[in-house]
Amino acid sequence: FDYSKAHFYRYDEQVSLCLERQSSSYPAKDKNKVTLQQKFVRCSVRAEVRHLRKVLCRRLNVEKHQVQMLLNNESLPDHMTMKRLWLSHWFGKAQPLVLHYSIKDRRTR
Amino acid sequence: PGPDEDEQKEVFEFEFSDRPLLPCYNIQVSLSQGPRNWLLLSDVLKRIKMSARAFRATFTHIEVATIAEAEFYKQASLSQLFSCPEELEGFMPDSKELLDLVEISSELVALLGSSLECVDDCWDPLAKARS
Repeated sequence: FDYSKAHFYRYDEQVSLCLERQSSSYPAKDKNKVTLQQKFVRCSVRAEVRHLRKVLCRRLNVEKHQVQMLLNNESLPDHMTMKRLWLSHWFGKAQPLVLHYSIKDRRTR
Repeated sequence: PGPDEDEQKEVFEFEFSDRPLLPCYNIQVSLSQGPRNWLLLSDVLKRIKMSARAFRATFTHIEVATIAEAEFYKQASLSQLFSCPEELEGFMPDSKELLDLVEISSELVALLGSSLECVDDCWDPLAKARS
């Protein structure tokens, strides 16, 4: 048994997510530019909201201050893990865990 | 020679798909290794519209592991992520039938039409995932 690799994130349980853009965010004419085309996401239960934001920024070509992650219209703290999110908000429900993201206009700080 | 895998920085991998992802099970199939993430081969075949024979002939390097359905159910049902009873209702808790599993890898992810992206604690996402 190779214990040296057992802690790798890739061997963690994986959580299945669906990332939906909050309909009210961003100007209507630019909505397609900031909507994730591949909205079904899988990642380690140890991934945090901030990691998800990083990936979203990359995918949507926006800056980090523009992206906010939400669940039930509540903003999610950056250091919350997917496991904690699941247990506190989704336990007993079927996968995927549905999260929303809002994109602020680039000029808005 | 390239960098040893052990020396690579650990990163979070994110799989993206435009279709609902196939169920993934964190299962220990042998005592010689810890839990790994597996898809049911039957789910994969259905998604890529390929027969088991064609899959094994085409992807000879992709290991197909087998596990008794009862053992699979026992391990999968311990997961808090499978707390919704409907998700495991297709499995028989006492069945001695064998299930075929394939481990998630970057190749399998690509085969399923998904893409993989990695991030570490730095702001900039790293280049594409491991080979």
